[in-house]
Amino acid sequence: MTEEKDLTNVPQAAAVPKKRRRLSVVWIIPILAAVVALGIAVERFLSQGPTITIVFKAAEGIEAGKTFLKYKDVNIGQVTKVKLSEDFTKVVVTAKIDKSAEGLIVKDAKFWVEQPRVTLSGISGIGTLLSGNFIALEVGKSDEKRRDFIGLEVPPAITLDQPGRQFVLHADELGSVGLGSPLYYRRLNVGQVIGYDLAEDGRSVTIKVFVNAPYDKYVTAATRFWQASGIDVTMGANGLTVQTQSVLSVLIGGIAFETPPTSQEMKPAAAKTAFPLFGSRTAAVAKHELIVASYVLYFNESLRGLSVGAPVTYLGLPVGEVTAIGFEYNEATDRIRPRVDIAVYPARFAAYVKKSAVLDEKNLGEKKRHSVIQKMVDHGIRAQLRSGSILTGQMYVAFDRFPNAPKAKVDWTKEPPELPVMPGGLQELENKITSILAKIDKVPFEAIGEDLKKLLATTDQLMSRIDGEIVPELKTSMEGLRRVLENTDATLVGKDAPAQQELREALQEIARAARAIRVLTDYLERNPEALIRGKTQEKP
Amino acid sequence: MSTGILTGRKLGLVLCEACRLLSRPIDIDEPGHCPRCGNELSLRRKNAIQRTWALILAAAICYIPANILPVLNTITTVSTDDDTIIDGVILLYKTGSWPLALIVLIASVVIPLAKLFALSYLLLSVQHRTAVGRHERVRLYRLVEIVGRWSMLDVFVDTFTVALIQLQPLMSVKPGPGVIFFAAVVVLTMIAAQTFDPRLIWDAGEDKEGPDD
Repeated sequence: MTEEKDLTNVPQAAAVPKKRRRLSVVWIIPILAAVVALGIAVERFLSQGPTITIVFKAAEGIEAGKTFLKYKDVNIGQVTKVKLSEDFTKVVVTAKIDKSAEGLIVKDAKFWVEQPRVTLSGISGIGTLLSGNFIALEVGKSDEKRRDFIGLEVPPAITLDQPGRQFVLHADELGSVGLGSPLYYRRLNVGQVIGYDLAEDGRSVTIKVFVNAPYDKYVTAATRFWQASGIDVTMGANGLTVQTQSVLSVLIGGIAFETPPTSQEMKPAAAKTAFPLFGSRTAAVAKHELIVASYVLYFNESLRGLSVGAPVTYLGLPVGEVTAIGFEYNEATDRIRPRVDIAVYPARFAAYVKKSAVLDEKNLGEKKRHSVIQKMVDHGIRAQLRSGSILTGQMYVAFDRFPNAPKAKVDWTKEPPELPVMPGGLQELENKITSILAKIDKVPFEAIGEDLKKLLATTDQLMSRIDGEIVPELKTSMEGLRRVLENTDATLVGKDAPAQQELREALQEIARAARAIRVLTDYLERNPEALIRGKTQEKP
Repeated sequence: MSTGILTGRKLGLVLCEACRLLSRPIDIDEPGHCPRCGNELSLRRKNAIQRTWALILAAAICYIPANILPVLNTITTVSTDDDTIIDGVILLYKTGSWPLALIVLIASVVIPLAKLFALSYLLLSVQHRTAVGRHERVRLYRLVEIVGRWSMLDVFVDTFTVALIQLQPLMSVKPGPGVIFFAAVVVLTMIAAQTFDPRLIWDAGEDKEGPDD
């Protein structure tokens, strides 16, 4: 092939011990790659937390891959999918939770969309304006796992770890109380309404309130709650009353509570204790009567202006209230009469008796009370309807002393016992007018008329006689009188009347006399000595 | 046609790949070391097919997480986004810059895959000793080698972005685990292209003495 010589110059390769491998080391690379890739896959799979679904009514601001789940502002997961439910009424949000937060996803965990909320009681979720809405979570107490949840529409007002206590209030109606409505104790905001619900039977409302620590210790078994919502304007027999709690509560409503100072119960009430919710402070405070005695009154007059809740007074002081007004059909007499039920708080009569005495009275029972009331009735204490205010025409029931009242006996066998009544002020007036009218009625107007007629007849006769007899005579006398007057006229007033002639002459005489006197006085003035010496002869 | 062509192998001579010294091998299978520079001699790259296969396999394994795992982790105050390569392509396409999207798609997704397929094809064809389209195959090999050095573009952009966009706390970008795998794919395919011995293409159909791996 090629020249041999050339080849001899080519150096011989060095022999190196053979190290032959069947499988190349290079295979380590794909194995390593596979191990790493597999490792990452396994790690991803293991670190994957649970996937949960939350059903919301609306998915405002929730976006797959962008919305986080946060607990105490720490990201614990991310929304991976947002879709409509099968019936298109709700939104199903699927979220992936971090492995580390898996323990939070328990049966009673609550989820809600945190977004900026502006309510009258405050602004929340401002941070979400920048960061976007997120799903917030409140952890539950349960240990049981759960993966599908129903989201809350509004965030829970309080979190589980907030110190304080929750109480339940039963009310007839919600009033203007809403979620987050403040709770006041001595006008201090000490808690809020955290929920409300209609009772199972639909007849009342259950309101859950949360009293923050340390104020929760002021709630005892004797505490009264009432609606401090808005402005409470009452126009009753007591006149016009306006009550408010605070400007905020006027706007958004609220609940206030108070423990009556007389209450001896100082132990804080247990959490979730149920309390009644009164409509107003008056109602709340008035109700703490331990002993309530019921009586019935039958008035024989119009009950217009009397309402349930109207006060019952004794000597002008409130001792009870009207509890019911209605009609009662009496089968025996087949008549319908108005009936007024009243509740009297006997404890009020003994307000200044020692507390133990009040309790004693409670224990003594009704017997003692019966004898006291009978004694009062014997002394002339009667119930009477009175007008509380001329302006409103509201009526109230007053117990007062009427010394002239007819005797009465209380029948204690009836339940409730009937107390004797006295016609009310208006009724009394009416009675008086009636009696006056009756008296007027008794006057014999006919007889009087007859007499009057007779009198008129005689007067008529008298007059005709005067006309026939006296008048002609009167005429002649009048003529005579005229003649006399004419004569007098001729004598005194006529031109040639002698009287006048004489009078003229007499006057002239007087004038002459006056002139003489003047001459005399003139002379005397000039010659005063003439008075002594007489008229001096003129000297020749 | 090519049977008459002289090869070093036929003459029992071997060229040192490092210092290009022509020497006589001890044995045709075990040529020994270069007498001048001490580099291990080989008539054909040793275990070329096996090595290339191993590297291709490793690259193929890495290719999966490279595309599944995020390469970029964008954190803004509003959200955090994990973006895979495909996410980036889709984002670019959606924002209207489709030429850019096409470039990224070709450079990052298509080319690594094409390289894997091309090398696999070359290996298979060598193993089956087909003489068909040898010139085309050599051209393909050259293309794979040339393109290889541009494949790191993606990794380069990624690291650049991470380094530049650090506007804490408004926005920051972190590399995702996918970028490591992506780099691994690129590196492995490049090495695979290097380990592959294009001389094998010409050996095919030449004689019975093929690669013994």
